[in-house]
Parts: sequence; C-alpha cells; structure tokens
Amino acid sequence: MNPQTEANKDLWKAIYNTGDLQHCFNCSTCISGCPASFGDPPLLVRNLARKVMYGLEEALFEDDTPWACVSCSRCEEMCPMDVKPFEMILHIRQWQASNDETRVPPSIVEIYKRGYTQAVGTNVETRQALGLDPLPIITNNPEQLAMFREMLMKTPVIAANDYMFGG
Amino acid sequence: MAENKPIGTVLVAGAGISGIKAAIELAETGYKVLLTDSSTQVGGILAKLDYQFPSDHCGMCRMLPMVGREYSSEYCMRKSLYHENIEILPFTEVVSVAGDAGKYKVELKKRARYVNSEVCNELGKCIEACPVETADEFNHGLTKRKAIYKSVPHNVPQLLLIDKSVCTECGECVKVCSTGAINLHAQDEVETREVHAIVLASGVKLYNTKEYEDAKSYAVSPDVVTSLAFERMLSGTGTYRDGIIKRPSDGKPAKKIAWIQCMGSRNKRQNRDYCSSVCCMFALKEAVLAKEKGGDDVETTIFYMDMRTFGKGFQQYRANAEEEHGVRLVRCRVQEVVREPDGNLRIRYFDPETNEFQIAHYDIVVMSTGQVPFDDHRKWAELVNGELSPTGLLATEKYSKVRLAGKQGIFMCGSLMGLTDISEAMASGIAAAGEATSFLNAIGTDKVSFEDIAEPVTDDRQLPKAAVLLCKCGEFAGAEGIDLEMIKNEVMKHRGVGTVHVVNSICSEEGQKEALDVLKKAKCNRLLIGACQPFMYRRKVRDIAKKAGYNSSLVQIFDLLGIARRGTEEASKLAWTRRTITEIKADLESIKQKPALHVQSVPINPTALVVGGGIGGMHSALSLANRGIPVHLVEKSGELGGFAGNQIAATVDGLKPMTMAKDLKLKVFEHSKITVHLNSQVAKTQGTLGAFESKIVSDGNDQKTYLHHGAVIMATGGHEGKTDEYGYGQSERIVTQFEFKQQLESGAIDLSTVENVVMIQCVGSREAGKREYCSRICCMWAIANALKIKEMNPEVRVYVLYRDIMTYGFLEQYYTKARAAGVIFVNYDLNSKPQVEVADGMPVMRFTENILNTEVEISPDYLVLSTGVDPEATNKELAEAFSLPLNDDGFFSEADSKWRPIEFKQIGSFLAGAAHSPMPLPDVIMQAEAAAQKAYTYLSGGSINTARVISTVKDALCIRCQRCIAACPFEARSYNAAEHRIEVDPAGCQGCGMCAVACRNNAAEVSGWSDKQMMSVIDAKLADDLQPSTAS
Amino acid sequence: MEFCLFLGCNTPAVRPDVEKAIRVSMDELGVDLVDADNYVCCPAFGSFPSTDEDSWLATSGWNLSIAEGKKRDILVQCGSCYSSLRMGREHIMHSDEKRQRVNELLEPTGRTVCGSSRVRHVSEVLYKEITPARIAEKVKISLEGLHGVVQYPCHTLYPSEVVGFEDSPREPKGMRQLVEALGATVDGYSRELQCCGGAGGFMKSTPEQAIEFAKTKFDSILEETKADFIAVSCITCLMHMENVQNTLNKRVGEERYKIPVFDYNQLLALCLGKEQKQVSAICNVSRDKVHQFIANAKVAA
Repeated sequence: MNPQTEANKDLWKAIYNTGDLQHCFNCSTCISGCPASFGDPPLLVRNLARKVMYGLEEALFEDDTPWACVSCSRCEEMCPMDVKPFEMILHIRQWQASNDETRVPPSIVEIYKRGYTQAVGTNVETRQALGLDPLPIITNNPEQLAMFREMLMKTPVIAANDYMFGG
Repeated sequence: MAENKPIGTVLVAGAGISGIKAAIELAETGYKVLLTDSSTQVGGILAKLDYQFPSDHCGMCRMLPMVGREYSSEYCMRKSLYHENIEILPFTEVVSVAGDAGKYKVELKKRARYVNSEVCNELGKCIEACPVETADEFNHGLTKRKAIYKSVPHNVPQLLLIDKSVCTECGECVKVCSTGAINLHAQDEVETREVHAIVLASGVKLYNTKEYEDAKSYAVSPDVVTSLAFERMLSGTGTYRDGIIKRPSDGKPAKKIAWIQCMGSRNKRQNRDYCSSVCCMFALKEAVLAKEKGGDDVETTIFYMDMRTFGKGFQQYRANAEEEHGVRLVRCRVQEVVREPDGNLRIRYFDPETNEFQIAHYDIVVMSTGQVPFDDHRKWAELVNGELSPTGLLATEKYSKVRLAGKQGIFMCGSLMGLTDISEAMASGIAAAGEATSFLNAIGTDKVSFEDIAEPVTDDRQLPKAAVLLCKCGEFAGAEGIDLEMIKNEVMKHRGVGTVHVVNSICSEEGQKEALDVLKKAKCNRLLIGACQPFMYRRKVRDIAKKAGYNSSLVQIFDLLGIARRGTEEASKLAWTRRTITEIKADLESIKQKPALHVQSVPINPTALVVGGGIGGMHSALSLANRGIPVHLVEKSGELGGFAGNQIAATVDGLKPMTMAKDLKLKVFEHSKITVHLNSQVAKTQGTLGAFESKIVSDGNDQKTYLHHGAVIMATGGHEGKTDEYGYGQSERIVTQFEFKQQLESGAIDLSTVENVVMIQCVGSREAGKREYCSRICCMWAIANALKIKEMNPEVRVYVLYRDIMTYGFLEQYYTKARAAGVIFVNYDLNSKPQVEVADGMPVMRFTENILNTEVEISPDYLVLSTGVDPEATNKELAEAFSLPLNDDGFFSEADSKWRPIEFKQIGSFLAGAAHSPMPLPDVIMQAEAAAQKAYTYLSGGSINTARVISTVKDALCIRCQRCIAACPFEARSYNAAEHRIEVDPAGCQGCGMCAVACRNNAAEVSGWSDKQMMSVIDAKLADDLQPSTAS
Repeated sequence: MEFCLFLGCNTPAVRPDVEKAIRVSMDELGVDLVDADNYVCCPAFGSFPSTDEDSWLATSGWNLSIAEGKKRDILVQCGSCYSSLRMGREHIMHSDEKRQRVNELLEPTGRTVCGSSRVRHVSEVLYKEITPARIAEKVKISLEGLHGVVQYPCHTLYPSEVVGFEDSPREPKGMRQLVEALGATVDGYSRELQCCGGAGGFMKSTPEQAIEFAKTKFDSILEETKADFIAVSCITCLMHMENVQNTLNKRVGEERYKIPVFDYNQLLALCLGKEQKQVSAICNVSRDKVHQFIANAKVAA
C-alpha cells in the first residue's frame, strides 16, 4: 500500500470528522469483546479506524463488516480514548451508503412507504384477541405519511436515490 | 555560633521511602524532622514489597546513612526506622498549615490507636482474646486480622492498635491486658507545631478496583488481584508460606497468571489520560518472580499497550524477562475478564503475532493498577494554599520537580510528583532535602550540634570487669514474666562480673542519676545494660557510661524483655528467665573480649569538584556555592551550558533550556565561591573522601592545575547518538531528530512544500549489540517535532514508527495531543524493521503497518531518525582518573540502581544527569540538586567521624589475594601497590564484615568482632549451666 | 406518572402480548400511558442512522415531537428504539446546528423539537421510579421456587453516560432486583452481560458464528444455573433468544435448549394476576412449565 498514491488523506474529514477518531491508539479494547468480532470475517473496529486514518478509501468502500455491527455499543463504553467506535461505524455506513446505492438499506424504503420496517397494524385479529385497540399508526394516516415522506425526501440519501422510493 | 538561631525544623508529611529518605538526609545534615504518616505504619508501599528489581531482593537498608551511622538505626528498614533527629508520628494527619515562608504552623492530628504503645508489651494476648475477625488490609484482604492488631507483621517495635470500625467494644482485650495499655475511649489528639519548611511526601492514592467503575469488567473474582496484592501473595509475611502461589478463591496452585496493564491509567474517557510510570516494570518483576517462585511450569502473560522500560537498566530487565524467563508479552488491551464456572479466568484477546483472536484461561489475573493523583493534589493545594496547574496537579517552579510554585519552603518528593520508582523516590527525597537545606540556610536557622562527651581512655591491658545494669521498667519487667532477682544472682556468679544492679527505670532522670552513681562506684571497665527498646536509649545510656568513665565501644545494651516478648515455645516465667540469663552471659563474653574502639575524625576539605558544566553541573555548583561550599567547575569545552543549554531553545512542555543556561552561566561566573575551569579536563585524581587531589589539564595540555577537594560530582552529560542505519548520511533528507528540530526552527525546511514526514524511533537503541538501553527522551523529541510540523502545516502527514511510546507519567498528554493533531503512530518490531533506500537523493521506504497487516511504501520528504542519547566519550578517561565504574553502555554506575542512585560506592563521589543515564531536563536538575545535597552532607561539617566498628587488615596474615577488595560492597578496600598492602578507607567502611567472610586467612577482621570473641559467645550460649533444681 | 408510549414495530406487530402486558401492568401500577399517534420507525440503527444524519435525526425529531406535544416523556420497551431515540436526542440536544437542521426539516410538517421530553426505558421506570419494593408489594402471585436468569439489554447499558440509568453500568442490578421482586430466585452466570447477538447485521452477515456466539451464552446458563426462565427487557432479545434455542436444538438433534424466554413485563403482568392468554400468549419456546406454576399459585391464592 502506498499512502501517497492510494490513500485519500482527508478521508476522515469525509467520514468521521468529530476529532474523536484521532485519539485511537490501537489498543484493541474495542475488538476484544465485540460480538461481531466473532464473525467470519470478523468485524474489527480497530482496523476500520485505522483505514479511516490512513485514508484507504477503496478498501474501506468494499468493506462489508461495518454492517455486521450489533449496535450494542460495548466498544463505546470500553474505549479508553473515547473514540466512540459505534458512532464511527455508523459514519462509515453513512459514507458507504451515500456513495454507493447498493449500500442503501432496503429497510429505509419500507420506512418511507409505511413508516416502519415491519407491517405494523396488519395483525388486527391477533390484537383483538388480546384485547388490544388498533394502534394510531402513521400507515393508516395518509396525510401524515405524506408529510413524513416529504420531509424524508429532503434528506440526502433518499433524495439521491429517489427512484427507489417510487419518486 | 549565634545563640538565638532556632534549630531548623522540617515537617516531612509522608513516611514512604521518599519521605524517609528526605527525613534521613535532613537529619544527617543536622536538622530536626517531624516525620508523619497518615497510615499506621512507616515505609509506605515498600513495606509491602519483599522484592525489588533488578536484584529481585529487598535493599531498603541501603538508604540508611553512610556517615554518622551511629546516630540512627542500623536495622532492617522494613522493620523500623530510628534517628535521633527524627520524630516519627505515624497515624497522624496534617489538618492545617498556617503561616508562610519559613514560619509555618502545622496542626497535626494524632489519631487514637486505643493502645498506649509506651506501656504495651506486645505479647499479643489481646489479639488472641479479640473475637472480631476482619480482612487484613496489609495483605490486601488475602488474610484475616483481628479488630486489635499489628498493622505490619514485621515491624519492630510493634505498635498495636484497634480498628474502631469493626471493634465491638466487648472489652475482652482490656481484660487480658496485664499492663493496662488499652483505652477503648481514647481520643484523637491535635497539636500545633512550628516548622521552618515542609516536604510533602504523602505519595499518591492508588487506583482502587473496588471504587472505580471501569475496573468492574475485570475484577470479577477473588482471583483477580491488584499488583500490590499479588506482591503480598508472593511475600514471606503474606500468603506465600509453603512455596506455592495459590488462587485466593480455593487455594489451587496457580500455574497460569496474566497481568493486565494500564488498569485505570491511560484512559481519557475516565479523565485519567496519564501513565502511571512504574507498572510495566512492576509487572515484569512480578512475572519473573512468579516463575522463580512458582516453578518453571508457571506461565506468565502480560497484556500491555506499550512496555515502558524507560529507566536505567529497565530495557535489559525486560529483555531478560522475555528471553531468560519466558515471560510472554502480548500487545492487546483486553475488554473484560470472565469468570468461568470452574473458577478459571477467561480472557479473549487479539494476538498480534498470529493476527487472530485467542481465548486463554488463567488461574490468577493481576491488575496493574496505577495512580489516581488529582484528589491528593487538590487536598495539598488547599492545605498549603498552593497553586494547581491546569492539569490538576500541584504547580512546581519551572524546571523543578520538587519546589512548589510560589511557596517558599514547601517542597515535594516521591510519588506525589506522579508514581515514581525507587530510584526516583530516592533522588527526589534527597533533592527535596537539599532544597529544604538551602532554604533553612538562607533563612538563618541552626543545626543540631552533637556535643560529644570526651571518650574515656581505657587501658586494654586491664583485666575485663563488667558492670551489669538491669532496668526494672517500673516493676514492668517483673510483671512481664522474668525474675530479676534470679537473674541478678545468677549473673553475679559469672566470671568477670564486677557488679549487678537493678534500676527502677533507666529512661527516667532519677534512674539515670542512680545509674551514674552506681557506675562511678563500681570501678568496672565494661558495661552491659538490659532495658526495653534499647535502640531508643542507646545514645543517652552511652553518654551516662562515658561520664562514668566507660568507653563507648565497651558498653552494650540489650533488649531485656526481648525473650519474653518474642516468646519461647514453653511460655513460662522460668523458661524466659533462664533464656535471658543465657543471653546475658553470652553478651558478657562478647564485651569482655572486646578491645576499646575509638572514633577517628577524618578531616574534610570543604571544597567540591563538579565535572561537567552543563545545566546539571551548573545547578550542582550553584546549589553548593549558595550554601557556602567552594566549588571548582571543570568543563571540557570552551563554554558552559552543555548540549541542552547550548543547542535546545525550547521543549514541548514549555521549557527553554538555552534561556535557562544563559541565566545559570551568569550566576556561575558571578559567584565568588565558584571557580570555572573551561577547556579543562581531569587527568588524574588521588585520595579519598575529604582529601582528593585532582590534576586538571587545561587548554590542550598547556596548563596543569592541582585542585584539592573533599568530594566530586560527575555531571558529564550526554549528546545525541549517531547512526549509519536507514540511509543516514546518504541523503540530506535523512536527518536526526535534533538536526530536524534545528532545521525547523531555523526555517531551513519549507513545510509548505512538504507532504510526508516519517520518523523512526529507537534507531540503534534497545537492541542487542547497539545501545541496549532506552534513551528516554527521544519519544518526546519526536512528538515535539511532529506537533511542530502539524502546527506549522496541518496538511503534512507525519508517521512515527515506534516500538513502545515512552511517554511515561504525565507526558502521556503529549502523545494524546500528537495523535489528536493527526500524527499517525505505527508500531514496528525488531523482526520487521523499516527498510530505507535512497533514490535520487531522496529516501524511499517500506514498513509494515501491523494493525492492517500490510506493507506500506512511501517516499517521504524527510526521514527523521531518533538516534538516542550517547554518554560522553570522556566518561571513560574520567572513570579511570577517578577509579569510578562505568556500565557496558558507557554511563557511570551508581552505588545501587534503586536505593543509592546519586552516589558512587566510592564514598565522596556523586553523579547526576546523563552521566547516570539519559533523562529529561527536570530530572537532570533534580539529580543535580540531590548530588549537591549528598556532597553538602559530607562537606559541611569540616570533618567526619568514622564509625567505631570498621574493618582492619592484619598485614602479617594477609597474602594480598585481594578477594576482600572484590567482596567489599562499599569500595572501601584498595590495594596499595607501592607499599604492597591492602588498605581500608575508614570513612568508607561500613563494618559489614563481608571482607572477613571472604578472607581465607583471618587477615581481614572487623574490629570488635574477633573470632575468639565469637567462639566465647557461642560457648556461652550453648552452656546452659543452670540446673533446674537451682531455678525452682 | 404518565408517559407517551412508543411501541416501535416488532412489539405491536410480532409480539402484541408484550404490548398488552405493558399496558395492563402499567395501569395496575398507576402509570398513565397515551399512545404516540402517527409515530414512525425509531429509526432502527440499520436504517437512517446508517445512511445520513439528516434522515436519522429528522425521524428521531418526528417521534420526539409527538411526546413533546403531549408534554410527556417517552416510554420505550425495545432496546434498539430506546438507544436510537436517546442517541438521536443526544445529537439534537448537544448541537445547536443539528437541532436547527432538524427543526428546519420538521417545520413543513408542523412539528418542532426542543428536547423537553426525555426517553425512558420501561425497565428504568420500573426499577428507578416504581421500584422493586413497590412491585413486590403489588404482586399477587409469587414466583418463589422458580429460578430465573436475566438478560440485560445492551442498549440500556452502553454507552452509560448516554443511555445508562444503572448506578454501576458495569455491574447492573436492575433486572435482577426486578425479577427478585416477583419472588423468583435469580441465578447469576458468567456470561450474564454478554450480548444476545440478535440486533444489527451479525445474524444476517455471518449466522453460523452469531449462533455459535449465542450458544456460549446458553451453555453458560445451562451449566451454571437452575434457570426455569430467562427474563429479558428488549423485544430483540426476546425473539432472538427463542429462535436461537430452536436452531441450536435442530443442530444438536435433541431438545437441549428449551428455557422459556419472557419479557419482564409479561412476568410482571402474570404475577399481578393478569390473564395469561392475553399477556403471555405468543412464544416459540414452550412456557408451559412456568405458566403451570403460576396457574397453580393462582389457585392456591
């Protein structure tokens, strides 16, 4: 790897520009107890931080492991340098999704369409059997749902991929 | 002597080793010391440690005075401390400090012990009777103690106390106490004392794994212990009794032990962005000890981030631990310890060797806990109305580690400065004492004068005739369980006894008067006194004896109650009495055969020679000169200032060495007591402490001067090392850190055109066959330069290739700062050193990025090499001229790397700064101050009395094999080639007797300890001629 | 006490009996709940928080504004919802710039967010507000004789200064004390604080390893405890810990992993004497043994 030719030294600014990342001293605390570090390939938060620091754009762009994170935030609790590794993972995902439409999670299409990832409100009979009233969900309120969609359409990733949203 | 001057008195708050050292130094100089400690004991942390690296033995007694040693105890320091000028107040807190600059009123709260130690006979019946059991904090809860207890198992005398937090006030102890020593309703006492100066030596609070949240992920089992608790597990007075290291939970032998470093430290998230400095060496030592004590099948693993082996000899110790002992080091900070159902401790870690996760199980996990300094500093700042720096630590004067900013006469030392190892604790204790001494001098206080009563002349040809004085201790001895009448009668029968007399209490004035009368009348020439706590009254009793005409060396004092106190198996009055009689007879045999010994007064030329005119040398010279000591300052170059003073404008922590040196130079040249010899070198030195003669060659042999001096300080300094590695010399873009710094500062580098800078640390350092040591300051230099680059042009990418970043202590903040600025730190190891080629005059390099496990290629605009610090080449000639030892690296070898870092074994010779080892400027200055203080103690009196007990040579028996010279730990023996005989330096000899052991012909003998005498003592001990019938 | 109830998606859609349990228990304990009308996805970490900050925080803001309109704090059961809303609120509250941007996006919808409503987890309210002591007083049926183990939702623990409410986040006690308040004995085990592994992409990206990871937790429970049930307080933990047991049983070819998993609110509702068919109706690992125990206790009472 040649950082002069292969790295974008300003990558961290594009990805995680809070100033927290730089404090990382590669101690490995984040990875030693991370659930997704048991995966194959493992999620190695420490290595992701390193890639961002070096600016290894290409390698990071191809890296699927940020999406294996379980969001438990243990790394954030344990990190002695307060790098906030989970936030960094979210930022890496955002950067990938912003630059690669195949990274756009299908769940946001569902949310755009009905307000939720799940089909909330379709289990009418089960709920009735349990003595539950119907929920005041947005799916059943076209006016509110339209406003919600309009709002989302102003946000960057949805705007850039409006075709996915029937727009 | 001005009559109105008060005796200089110093409060030393904290009786850990640095406080003790400061107290001893001050006491030795002739000042009075109040030595307080908030805990129940003296000795601080070191009281708990049986072993210290590098020897892995204890060496605490090495801090005892080498001169005037008869005024203090010569016992094991972990048992107790005694000095005539030191008043020890354990379990005492400083509650307020009023007044200012030389007139301090301190309020001391003596906490109630509930046991009057003046009356207590330490038999411990109360302990047996006490029904309350609780965890013993001395052994970190690994063992139990009672509510009434001895706080340190090996202390002498034992000061018992009651822990009121667990005491039920059942009164069982009071019932069994025969001396009425226990008062369950005792109160704390507050008293106000006036002192001229204060030394803060209270140490630092240690990270408590029960108190802090982040420890809870690790402290999941009783088998997870702190490093200090593990030390107690290894200790002979701790839990390691049958030679097995055991798991605290179930006693199973521990075969796999792991250490987790930086527990509580280097944690910005928890507002502890500092390193605790000592834990790496502590863990290495414990791992080595665990192997040695637990057997070869013990596996030891240390999980670390950077192995900070920055001090003298540290790196070699690490190499040895890894290579010889097989201690495994794993660079990984682990997230948690999980306690498995079978009690094993599971640790999952990422192994950088294999680049894979590993799961390992351990029997014991040791948490390397560090310091939590801020509360202590805040407390002291409030108490003494001192300044806190922005980092939350007590502010010190610029360049000084021991002088509190803006507070005249208040100093600090030891771990209050940030956790220190033993060597630094010693140096700082001496330096604080030095500063205090200078201050006391300046404000015009007096010293204690030892008004010696003239030693009576004893005719050795007289037949020995002994007087025996036994102290009843106010009926106490009898109550104790010995029959004084029976002793009196039996001893009277012993051959050579002139009189036996029982006094009521020798510690009282009447008792002393009575003793004097009896002794005057007795017409004896030997004296044996039995009393309690003999070391406390030794001097007083000797004075009485001298007045009565007894030579001091023929007076012996013994602990009359020792037998009863320490107990014998058959705990009866008769048994104790009989044993005591036997002891007395043995002692009588010893003094009967002893010759009268006399003190020699060695005249001291009160002039010092300081070799090296750098900042350290100049500081030492000024410190001495300001106290009235004439100084010759010899500098080999044409200018004072040395490397730092002439070349370094600013350091990363805001110091300006060149400015400072300029100021020092001015003061040195102006000082009437300092004679500067520029372009000069010492060619040859002869003589001993107090009377050295050195030949100085100046201006290239043109001029020869002979200087007479009583002591010498080696302050020869060091300089940046050179290298031929990594293409150095092949490109002007490959430079050393110092060269780079100069080019940056002079503007020779246009950073706007620079894109990449790579720095390589440890060039030619910490590597077999090269500089095998860590130069300690290069990491900070690299960080300073990197920060400078980032400040001037943040767009430059800076890579620092390092092995271990050595930003120990509060220097850690600069490492954090550098990373925050975007400097990329890349770890490398010796197996994959960076590769450098030069193409078209520019460096082209490859290195391994070991987090991502990939090779990096880069053509930096500058390659900056941290080439370490070399000792001065002239050290070699100087070592020869002064007969002082150098280590393999070319630095001077101090007397003892832990306990005597500032002095040479050769008495009267001292060292400071990079002559000792590479170190940052504030440490150089601290050592320079300490060396000046050590020299001052020797020089200020004009003469030094040798000890009575010193070794001698019987020339007729001596075959000149010189074994004794090799055996002498104090370099007090030498071979005089001209007269073909062995000589003993009477000031240097400490009477240890190693020479007598080494000598095969009995030619080396310690005066007062002849073979014949010893045989008689043994005979007396073995001959139990008391018949049971007579005794009943 | 009153809250705006935020149910998220999995609870009302897949496990409405948990919703029922929360509603009836809270009612019994004197807590007034109103529904968050027109609420939307929290949003889940894998959705907007993984695409851009605008959509994340705007969605958080949408939900928070509902509670703010009702002048109530939000009550959440799902761990992800809780953490996402709380972290979203944290961002909105700690940056004027972000708050401005969110309000700019919300404005056309007639909404605004100022941070006046806090985000509370149901276990926090039970533990810190209602307290285990009061719960112990209120319960009609005791689980005395049953052994339980607890599963803390990671999302309520870490990072402690953002989401935490435990006095000691590395040694949490809330779930244990809450279950003990029902009379059951809570057994500790070495992997009590281990994540269930069910959230996020771990199960999707490497299911083999994710199941193996969960297995270590279940083996630890089986080996070290006498657990009759597992009490969780997060819908993901509930669903995942049931599913994994079934998967593991298929893998080992025997019914080794069969510890019923309850949301705490279900156990609470049962102990308050609520109808089992309403508050504990749906499960993938048989709860018969515990249900029977409670039915017997009910008869005895």
